[in-house]
Amino acid sequence: MDSQNSQSVPQSIDQILPQSNSYVNSPSPGKISMKIKYKQLIIVGFSVLTVGLLSIFLYFSEKTVAYLLVGLIVALVLVVVETILLLLNSKVGVQTRDGISQLPKSFDEATEKLKASYFEDLEKKVSEKTKALTQRIEELNSEQHINKEAEEKALIEEAKEEATLTSIGEGVVVTDPQGKILVFNQAAELMTNWTASEAVGRFWFETVPAMDEKGYLIPRIDRDMYKALTIGKKVFSESIYLKRGSGKITAANTAAPIILKGQVIGAVQVFRDISHEKEIDRMKTEFISLASHQLRTPLSAIKWFCEMLINGDAGELNPEQKEYAQNVSDSNERMISLVNSLLNISRIESGRIIIDPKPTNINKLISEVINEIKVKSDAKKQQISVSVDSDLPLVNIDPQLIREVYVNLLTNSSRYTPDGGEISVVIYKKDDELISQVSDNGYGIPKKDYDKIFQKFYRGDNIIKIESDGNGLGLYLVKAIIESSGGKIWFESTEEKGTSFYFSLPLSGMQAKKGEVTLSS
Amino acid sequence: MSKQKPTVMVVEDESLMLQAISKKLELNGISAISCSSGKQAVDYLNNISELPDAIWLDYQLKDMDGLEFMRQLKKNEKCAQIPVIVVSNSASEDKVHSMLALGAKQYLLKAGYRLDELIPIMKQFISENNTQA
Repeated sequence: MDSQNSQSVPQSIDQILPQSNSYVNSPSPGKISMKIKYKQLIIVGFSVLTVGLLSIFLYFSEKTVAYLLVGLIVALVLVVVETILLLLNSKVGVQTRDGISQLPKSFDEATEKLKASYFEDLEKKVSEKTKALTQRIEELNSEQHINKEAEEKALIEEAKEEATLTSIGEGVVVTDPQGKILVFNQAAELMTNWTASEAVGRFWFETVPAMDEKGYLIPRIDRDMYKALTIGKKVFSESIYLKRGSGKITAANTAAPIILKGQVIGAVQVFRDISHEKEIDRMKTEFISLASHQLRTPLSAIKWFCEMLINGDAGELNPEQKEYAQNVSDSNERMISLVNSLLNISRIESGRIIIDPKPTNINKLISEVINEIKVKSDAKKQQISVSVDSDLPLVNIDPQLIREVYVNLLTNSSRYTPDGGEISVVIYKKDDELISQVSDNGYGIPKKDYDKIFQKFYRGDNIIKIESDGNGLGLYLVKAIIESSGGKIWFESTEEKGTSFYFSLPLSGMQAKKGEVTLSS
Repeated sequence: MSKQKPTVMVVEDESLMLQAISKKLELNGISAISCSSGKQAVDYLNNISELPDAIWLDYQLKDMDGLEFMRQLKKNEKCAQIPVIVVSNSASEDKVHSMLALGAKQYLLKAGYRLDELIPIMKQFISENNTQA
């Protein structure tokens, strides 16, 4: 339609007015005189020819008078014709011609005036019409231009959207408030075996069913899109999507409601195939499990044989033999501890540690830990004092994890404090947090190590020479546990004076986290 | 009928461990029956006249895992009553739960216990079993 219109819009004035040679296309004066002279020539020639023929005829005929008369009449007719012809030409012809064309000037003038005024009028009309038409053309052009621009823009936007959706690696599904599919991108097609044309119009929940890891179908009300639509909040989850036909993928999903003016007008589900990641994770788990077993087996053998050796189960040892055996045993214990720490760390890092909060009696927990530590601190003749808020309620924490925190901090305190030193533990409630403080008057942490002590395997320069025991993993583990429990850890220290470690735990309790393992298993 | 000497069947595929455990048990007045595979242990149990007072089981055996062993044990009514103490180096939450659910009395991590800590535990279960019998 558009193209037709553009063609019919006149491009020039020439197309508006019909082509007429006479008044508009006035030829140049030179050409006119040429034309007139040419005409003159023809007429004169014709006259001469006629008279000549007549003369000949007259000569050869008897009826002279009759033929003479005829001749004269013919000549007269010729003259009249010539005059009329000349009159019909422009007045320029009047100027260049002499003889017969000397018609009354007034006649010429009148003709001229008529011609001029007619021409002027016409010219005016033409220019007005031209202006109007030009304007209209411009308007139409610009309108058309705007329309075209707008349409082009819309097409570009649509193309961009299409290209974006197609190139996104994640599946993107947009639904109406009931969960009916409106948009289904290419990635979604590939991941679910549904084509967009098939999927659009169907309901998401039935089209792509979801299962949990145990293999149970997730009911509609538990699907993230359902939750997003009803609660109006973003929902994250991992589930197994069943493809059309057979096959399934493990997907990480985000379902978010689309809210316009406070109303939920739809939802968008974005999901990513994590089957590969899950497989790698499973392989890592298996490897860690295997590694832990394989590493611990020889360590246990060494442990028990050393024990029997030292015990005299294979015969009494002399003091030196006993000492050597004990050395072997001590080194072995460090290895066992290192393997345990490494395994715990790799589990924490892969997010697999279970956080299993239970209402816990902190007092009882810390007493048990102190009893364990006392073996070492008593050997160094160190004093441990404990002060726990008397009105502490049962706190929802994972006792195994938090116990690990206390054990590590207290072991450090004892280890990095000289003989006869003092260690104190203070636990109290502050606002909605549980604060624990473990202090000692030991070697302290040098300022330059402040930002390094929580790093894996880092051991302060000042204590490395004094105390060979310690693998540099304790604080890393402690920080990881505290932070995944929703708490914070910090410290104050002065070299040669002592150190105090503080950590907070939310009294509202730790977030239960379903993982797969506990510590040191 | 009270036994003169308590008997413990040790099921462990690592020969060094088997040696250490058996030796320790013997030193503590407990008779040890050594089995280096699950099959060997099950066969023994099915054919022996006098059943052991307790079973010291390693979870990771060459021919079967602890779960399979427990299942096989349960097939024999007499054997199903014997207390099983799992002493292993691999101990994930799942494994522990499953074994305890199948009737194991305890699940201990090898590398975390000295032998002389484990002996009293064995003795405790033996005496419990005897009083029940």
